[in-house]
Amino acid sequence: MNRQSKGRSPYADMLRRYLLPQKNTLWLLAALLVLTIGLQLVNPQIIRYFIDSAQSGSDLKPLLLAAALFIGFSVVQGGISVLATYFSENLGWKTTNALRSDLAAHCLSLDMPFHKSQTSGALIERVDGDVNALANFFSSMIIHLIGNFLLMVGIIVLLFRESWLIGAGMTLFVIAAVFVIQQIRKFNGPFWKDWRQASAELYGFIGEQLEGTEDIRANGASGFVMGRFYNMLPNMLRVRLRAFLGFASMWNTTIVVFTLGNAMAFAISAYLWKTDAITLGTVFLIFFYTELLAKPIEKIRTQMEDLQKADASISRIRTLFETRSSIEDGPGAPLPEGPLAVAFDDVTFSYEDHSGDPTLSGLRLQLAPGEVLGLLGRTGSGKSTIARLLLRFYDPQEGAIRLGGTDIRQCKLSGLRKRVAMVTQNIEIMEGTIRDNLTLYDDSVPDAKIVEVLEQLGLGSWYASMPQGLDTMLASGGGSLSAGEAQLLAFARVFLTDPGLIIMDEASSRLDPLTEQRIEEAIGRLLANRSCIIIAHRLATVQRADRIAILEDGVVIESGRREALAADPESRFSAMLATGLEEVLA
Amino acid sequence: MTTFQFLRRLIMLRPLLYVGNALAWTVIYLIPIAPGLITQQFFDSLTGSDSLKIGTWGIIALLLAAALARVAMIYVGCITDVQYRFRMSMILRRNLLGHVLKQPGARAIPVSPGEAISYFRDDVDQTEEAVSWSVDVFGLTCFAIVSSYILLKIDVQMTLLVFLPLVLVVTVAQLATTRLQKYRAASRESTARVTGAISEMFGNVQAIQVAGAEDRVIERFRRFNEDRRKTMLKDKLLGETLDTVFTNSVNLGIGLILLLAGAKMRGGSFTVGDFSLFVYYLTFVTQVISNVGKFMTYFKQMTVALARMTELLQGAAAGVLTRRGKLVLAKGSRPAAEASDPAVAREPLRALEVTGLSYRFPDTGRGIENVGLRLEGGSFTVVTGAIGSGKTTLVRTLLGLLPKDEGTITWNGKPVEEPGTFFTPAQSAYSAQIPRLYSDTLRNNILLGHRDNDGELARAVHDSVMEYDVAHLQQGLETVVGPRGVKLSGGQMQRAAAARMLVREAELYVFDDVSSALDVETEQKLWERIFASRGNAACLVVSHRRAALAHADHIIVMKDGRIESEGTVDELLAASETFRELWYGDERGKDGRVQQD
Repeated sequence: MNRQSKGRSPYADMLRRYLLPQKNTLWLLAALLVLTIGLQLVNPQIIRYFIDSAQSGSDLKPLLLAAALFIGFSVVQGGISVLATYFSENLGWKTTNALRSDLAAHCLSLDMPFHKSQTSGALIERVDGDVNALANFFSSMIIHLIGNFLLMVGIIVLLFRESWLIGAGMTLFVIAAVFVIQQIRKFNGPFWKDWRQASAELYGFIGEQLEGTEDIRANGASGFVMGRFYNMLPNMLRVRLRAFLGFASMWNTTIVVFTLGNAMAFAISAYLWKTDAITLGTVFLIFFYTELLAKPIEKIRTQMEDLQKADASISRIRTLFETRSSIEDGPGAPLPEGPLAVAFDDVTFSYEDHSGDPTLSGLRLQLAPGEVLGLLGRTGSGKSTIARLLLRFYDPQEGAIRLGGTDIRQCKLSGLRKRVAMVTQNIEIMEGTIRDNLTLYDDSVPDAKIVEVLEQLGLGSWYASMPQGLDTMLASGGGSLSAGEAQLLAFARVFLTDPGLIIMDEASSRLDPLTEQRIEEAIGRLLANRSCIIIAHRLATVQRADRIAILEDGVVIESGRREALAADPESRFSAMLATGLEEVLA
Repeated sequence: MTTFQFLRRLIMLRPLLYVGNALAWTVIYLIPIAPGLITQQFFDSLTGSDSLKIGTWGIIALLLAAALARVAMIYVGCITDVQYRFRMSMILRRNLLGHVLKQPGARAIPVSPGEAISYFRDDVDQTEEAVSWSVDVFGLTCFAIVSSYILLKIDVQMTLLVFLPLVLVVTVAQLATTRLQKYRAASRESTARVTGAISEMFGNVQAIQVAGAEDRVIERFRRFNEDRRKTMLKDKLLGETLDTVFTNSVNLGIGLILLLAGAKMRGGSFTVGDFSLFVYYLTFVTQVISNVGKFMTYFKQMTVALARMTELLQGAAAGVLTRRGKLVLAKGSRPAAEASDPAVAREPLRALEVTGLSYRFPDTGRGIENVGLRLEGGSFTVVTGAIGSGKTTLVRTLLGLLPKDEGTITWNGKPVEEPGTFFTPAQSAYSAQIPRLYSDTLRNNILLGHRDNDGELARAVHDSVMEYDVAHLQQGLETVVGPRGVKLSGGQMQRAAAARMLVREAELYVFDDVSSALDVETEQKLWERIFASRGNAACLVVSHRRAALAHADHIIVMKDGRIESEGTVDELLAASETFRELWYGDERGKDGRVQQD
C-alpha cells in the first residue's frame, strides 16, 4: 500500500528544500566562523611574543600593548561566538519548524491503515524527536564540525611552522586521539542506551500503576505492585553501574590521551629547546596549542555522533514523507447542497488487499435525500465499514459509492468531509478549551451558537458549572467528564456543522436511556432536512429510521421501509421486534 | 521539613556510603593540583630554575603517574556515586509509590497520571543530583583552598589582582544563570506544547479528518512551533552568553596576568613556570564556581522538588519520603516481596449499613449528598440513574476510593474506620467502570499477585464469560495485554476486570457498570454465571441495563447526587418517574413505533 521510491541523496534533498532559502544566514555564519577561528589562533602567538620579549628584557610598553591586544581579542571572540550561536540557532529552528509542520501535515493526510499501525508516541518520536536530531544537523553542525576541523588544521599548520618535528608529532597525536576516543565510545555507548531503556521501563511501570490505583487498591494488590517494583531494582542497579563505569572509562580515556599529548609536547619541545631550535616563548606556544587541541577533538567527536543520529533520522523522515495515502484526493466534483442521496453500487471491500472473505461483497444500498436509514447487524457484519467508506477512510476495491449522484472519489476529500459528518462511540476529547474541542479551532463559530447547542443537548447545567465557561480547559481523554457527557460533546461537534449526511455509529452506546430520550428532540431538529445513517446493535436506537437495512456477512439480507417491515410478519425485522429485546442482534 | 533537613535525612539514609563517596571525590578533585605544579617544574627546568631536578623524563613520568592515579580514583568514585545515588533515589521512589498505593484509589494522586510520572522521575532525579553534587562542592572547596595557598605563596599581589576580579565576574555570571532557569522553563513549556499538540493531533486523527480540520490544526501547530523557536532562542542566547563569559574568563585572566607580569618577568621574580601554573589554575576557577553554582541550582530545584513531592503525599508529613528501609539489590537474591496486604480475618457479611454519606468534588462541588443504604448479606443490589447522577461516586466513596466528607459505614454493626483499607479482599472486591490493564500477561493482570489455588483462575475466567476470548488469544492467558501488549476491546477489558474481581474470595462484589460495553447476550450470560457461582456473597452493581435490574433484590435510583427512590422493580415502576423512564427507555423501539411525537 505504501509506495517507496529511491531518490537522490537524502541529505542533498533536505538541504536544498529547507536550508537553501536561508543561504544569506549561512554566508554570514561562515564569515563569523573564519573570524573567530583566526582570533583563537592568533592569541597564543601574542603570548609567545610577550614571553620572548620579557625574557630578553625589552621595554615594558610593547608588553603592555600585547597584553591589551590579548584581552581585546578575547572579548571580540566571545562576542562573535554569541552572535554565531544566535544565527545558527535561529537557522536551525526556522528550518526544522518548516520541516516539522510539513511532516505533521503530511502524516495528518495519511489514511487510516497508516494511523492504525502507528502509536501516537511513535509519531511524536518521528515528528519531533527525529526532526530535533536534524536541528543540530541544520544549524550547529556547520559551526562546530567545520569550524572545529578548521581550528584543528590551523593549529597543526602553525605547529609545522615552528618545527616539522612538533607538527608531525601533533598530527599523529590528533589522529590517534580521535581513533582511541571513538573506539572507547563505541564500546561504552550502548550501556547508556540500556540504562535509558531500563528507566523507561520503570517509569512505564509506575505510570501504569498510577493509572490503575483504583483497581489495585480495591482488589488488595498493593503488595504485589511493590513486589514488582523491588523486582526491577537489582537489574537496574547493574545496568546503571555499567553505564557509569562506561562514562568513567570515556572520561578517563580523555584524561590519559591528553596527558600523553602533553607529555609528548614536553618531550619534543624540551629537545628542541635544548638544541636551541626554539625560544622559551615557543615552548609555551606549543604547550598552549596542545591544550587548545583538546576542544576541537572533543567537539568533532560529539558532532560525528550527532551526524550519525541525524543520518538515521533523515532516512526515517524520508520514509515517512514517501509514505503515500492509499486514498487519492479527487479532482473536486461538487456535492449538491441540502440533504444528500446515498447509493452503494455493488460495493466490494476487504481490509486486507488480497485476503479471504471480503468485509462487504457486492453491497447495494439506496437512500433518498432527507431519509433516515437504520442499519442493523451483528458485530462484524460490516456496518461500521460502510461508515468508513462513506468518509473515504478506505476505498472499495469494486463498485462505487455515490452521494447526490456524484462518485465520492471525484470529490475533494475536504469537500466530502465537510458534507458528511460522523459521530462514533469513541470519545475523542482533546486537551484544550471546551470551545476548541467543539469547533476544532474554527474561530468563525459564534459562542452563542455553541452554548445553544450545549443547552439543547442537556449539557446546560454541566456547562454552567464550568468555571471559565467555554474557555475551561478539558483534559485529554475527557478527564473530569463522565463517559456519557463526553459522548454528548461529540454530538455537539456535529451540531455546529452543516452536513448533508450524518452517520451515527453506535453514537449513543454510552448514554443511559433517560439521557438518550432527553436529546431526542435535539437530534430530531438536527436531522431535519438531512440524510442520516444510524448504525446500531440495539433496536431502540433505530426507532426514528424511515428505512431499515439488515446486514449479514457483508451483504444486505433485508431492507425496506420500517413500517412495512414491522408490519410484515415474515420479515426478520418483525422477528427481532417480536422476540422482545435485542438478543437477536447481540 | 526544610530543604536542608531533607538533604540531611537523605544523607542519613546511607551515611557510610555517603562519606566514602565524599572522600573519593575529594581525592579526585585534589589530584589536578599536581599536573599544575609539574608543568611549572617543566618550564622552570628549561631555564634551570626548577627545584626538583629530575630532568624532562622524570617530569613526564610524574605527569603520567598523576594521571593514572586520577584515573583509578575516578573508577572508585563512580562506583561509590552510583551505589549511593541509586539507593537513595530508589528509596525515595519506593516511599512515594508505597504512599500513593495507600491513598483512596480514585484520588490517589492530585494530578493526572502522566504528570505524576514527572514527580517520580524528574523530581527524584533533581533531588538525587543535588545530594550527589554536595559531595563535589566539598571536594572543589578543598581544591580551591589548596591551590589558593600555592598561588599566594608564589605571588600574593598577582594572585589577588588576577583571581579576585575573575572570581567576581564568574560569580556574577553564575548568578545570572538563575535567569536562565526561567528561560529554560519557558522553553520546556513551549516544547511540551509542541509535543502535546502532536500527540493530540495523532491521537484524534479520525475526529480531525472527519471534521476536515487538518489545515486549522496544522496552523495551530505552526504557531506553537514559532513560540518554541522564540523561547528557545532566548534560552540558547543567554546560555551561550554565559558560556562565553565562563570560557573567556580564562583568557581574561591570562590577559590580566600579562598586564601585571611584564615587569616582574623581566626582573625574573616571576618565571615562565609560575606563569604556566597561574594559567593552569585559571582554568579551574570557572569549573569550581560553576560547579558550586550547579549545586546551588540543584539545591534550589530540590526545594521545588520537595514541595512537589510533598504535594503528591496529599497532606501526609514529608517525613514519609525519607522513611528508611531495605532494598534487596544483591544479584540473584529473591526480593523481599512486601508481605501482601494483610488479609483481615473475614467476618461473613450480615449487613452493611451506610448513613449520611457525602462526597463533593473539590473543583466542581458536584458529588453525592447524604446517601444512606443497607445491604444484606447475599443480596443483589443495583444502583441506577442518569449520567452524572453520582452512581460511580457513591460506590467509590463507600469503598474508600474517594475520601468521604461525612457519613458512617458499618459492617455487621461495627463501624468501619478506614474504608479504603477495609474494603479489600477478603471483605470486598471491585471492578471499575473503566478498568485498567497493565502491560503484563493476562494471567498476571487477573491475578495481580493473588495465588491461583485449585483452579480459581479458570473458574473466574469462566464466570466472567472470558473463556471464548482467552481461547482465541494467541498465547491464551499468557498473552501480554495492556498498553504495550495486545489491545483488548472495551468489552474484553471489562470482563477481564470482572475476572480480576471474581478470582478473589469476597463477601461483597462491587461492579461499576461492568456491562456497558457488552452485548446483550454476553451480559445475560455474565449475570447468570455470577448468580450461580457467587455463593453467599452480596453484589452491589451500578447499571442501567435491564439484564442487571431484572436480577435485583433491591434497586437504588440516584438523581443529582441523592437517592431519589428505592425498592424492587415493581415498586419503582409504580412510584418513580425516573425509573420508569430508565426502564422503558431501554425498551423503546421494541414495538417498532416512534413513541415521541
